[in-house]
Amino acid sequence: MTTQATTRFTNQLHTMKTQNQKGFIPFTLLGWPNADISFEIIKTMIDSGATGLELGIAFSDPLADGPVLQAAAVETLATGFDVDQAFILLQKVRAYNQDIPIGLMVYFNMILARGVDQFFKDAADAGVDGILIVDLPPEGAEEVTAAAKTSGIDLIFIVSPLTTDERLQTILKHANGYLYVVSRLGITGTDNTHDTQLQDLLTRIKAQTDLPLYVGFGVSTPEDAQKMIAAGADGVITGSRIIQLVQDQPNSSPQQVLETYLQSMCNLSE
Amino acid sequence: MQTLGFFGQYGGIYVCEPLMPALEELEEAFLKFSKDPDFLTEFQHLLTHYAGRPTPLYYAKNLSALWGAQIYLKREDLLHGGAHKTNNAVGQALLAKKMGKTRLIAETGAGQHGVATAMAGALMGLKTEVYMGEVDMARQEPNVFRMKLLGAQVHGVTSGSKTLKAAINEALRDWLANVRDTHYVLGTAAGPHPFPTLVKFFHQVIGTESREQILAQLGKLPDYVLACVGGGSNAIGMFSGFVDDTAVKLIGVEPGGEGLNTNKHGAVLAKGTVGVLHGMKSLAIQDKDGQVSDTHSISAGLDYPLVGPEHAYLRDIGRVQYDSATDTECLEAFHALSKAEGILPALESAHALAHTKKLAAQVSEDTTLLVSLSGRGDKDLHQVMSVTN
Repeated sequence: MTTQATTRFTNQLHTMKTQNQKGFIPFTLLGWPNADISFEIIKTMIDSGATGLELGIAFSDPLADGPVLQAAAVETLATGFDVDQAFILLQKVRAYNQDIPIGLMVYFNMILARGVDQFFKDAADAGVDGILIVDLPPEGAEEVTAAAKTSGIDLIFIVSPLTTDERLQTILKHANGYLYVVSRLGITGTDNTHDTQLQDLLTRIKAQTDLPLYVGFGVSTPEDAQKMIAAGADGVITGSRIIQLVQDQPNSSPQQVLETYLQSMCNLSE
Repeated sequence: MQTLGFFGQYGGIYVCEPLMPALEELEEAFLKFSKDPDFLTEFQHLLTHYAGRPTPLYYAKNLSALWGAQIYLKREDLLHGGAHKTNNAVGQALLAKKMGKTRLIAETGAGQHGVATAMAGALMGLKTEVYMGEVDMARQEPNVFRMKLLGAQVHGVTSGSKTLKAAINEALRDWLANVRDTHYVLGTAAGPHPFPTLVKFFHQVIGTESREQILAQLGKLPDYVLACVGGGSNAIGMFSGFVDDTAVKLIGVEPGGEGLNTNKHGAVLAKGTVGVLHGMKSLAIQDKDGQVSDTHSISAGLDYPLVGPEHAYLRDIGRVQYDSATDTECLEAFHALSKAEGILPALESAHALAHTKKLAAQVSEDTTLLVSLSGRGDKDLHQVMSVTN
């Protein structure tokens, strides 16, 4: 792990881990289905007690995303919501809550297009604490490490059931904040059958790092979440399910639709 | 990884973590088998006796008289399957078999790579599934039938542009989910390392043969070598035979669509900027935020907003010149070759021919132009007839 100023992720997630409290990080796509409702969705997440936020910027070719998030990205881009607007929305979220750790989940091309330094600066200015670049493995991390350090932003990395111990060492050289552990192979939000290797994987990672381990992919219910916790996770990340819930009830407010669900996900115990 | 596969600033590996072990495994297998005499003998045997290599180098006498230069055609259209794609599909399927994979997936634009992968899958007893955009399924329908008859399952892709870019997206998603037993037979010299290098390796026979054949026929190297460029696999294979012959001018021809002054083209090397998609850093047609655009070309096989990374590098160092031909110029060349020589070219290859015509008008009549005729036009009959009538 590189040393740098501690961020909200490092502080809060690590504190929770040492106190054996389990965390919940909900995901949504910035600007979906429009800027106003998106802000309402994020506010509901914060008010329901989310540990942190993972917010995506819509991309034309979201290779790691399943049908729900793909469709949401297409809808978002069709409204004309762009990266500038995403940063404006992020500022609004940060103004609403000073304390919650905010993570961005982006595809590398969007960072390149804005310029690596500029993107990280804009993210830091908007109150972002961590950035997970979906399609930048640790082999390419050098392209962003300087900008991340300068801006004080954590680089969040993915670990999968296929990641070897050797690869894990490479990832840990660059990883900060927490590790996003993929529960199974595939894309986001598809089926809920979990790879049996998860428990072994979490044990293997814990032997090498103190970073909090948050499990994502196929975590949509409190029952799923409890299974991940039982397998050794420090917390869970959920995305597609949240967008699906809002989609299913277009005439209700995000608060009405999501509050009960989010609260049930936030009350995780071992 | 042993290397990251950069060509200058282009190439590399830009994929989601779960794919990294598969790329490490593939690189290791490629490094091992590309030097393994038994593997190479087996590959060579299949190229000769199954695919029909060497393909002829044909002096197009009538077309030469018509256009005013000495035009030689490398007849990859005569390769089994009807296009150069068979070289790579057979090579990768053989590699997948050695790696113990039981399932092949592929993307296809024009359908030629899908057909080639379906053939290779049938030959080697590997279950084969092909992703193809629905727009391309409509315009290349004969190839959809061929894939099905060869035993492959064809998945229509309805997302985005419903063309090649979307098909690659879906194939990569499939690979993410099934990486343990599946090999992704990427169809062009693009994508994450080691694909650009590996695909070139299997296609370099085009350039090697062409060089030997022209020397045997003429006793000298050609003045120009031309090939169409979408992702750029036939071009990189052809150019690899001549890249060290600095006197030989190399020209890649991109799809100009309705013109480079419109947004309906696929001329990435002319209009693209540095970007990352489909696992590689290369040039891409994209907006200010890095959203990758939909392209347009009359030929499904060239309808792609990125390009193989080595082409971007060869452009930057000035070794290859890249031009474009419009849909209209492509059709004119299609008809010209058909009527002058009795050869129906693929619309992709007709782009290279269209530029050959322009070049022939500028050079002396004894100038030698070697053109990669990368595929045959049977798949395009429906589309050509519909715009011709």
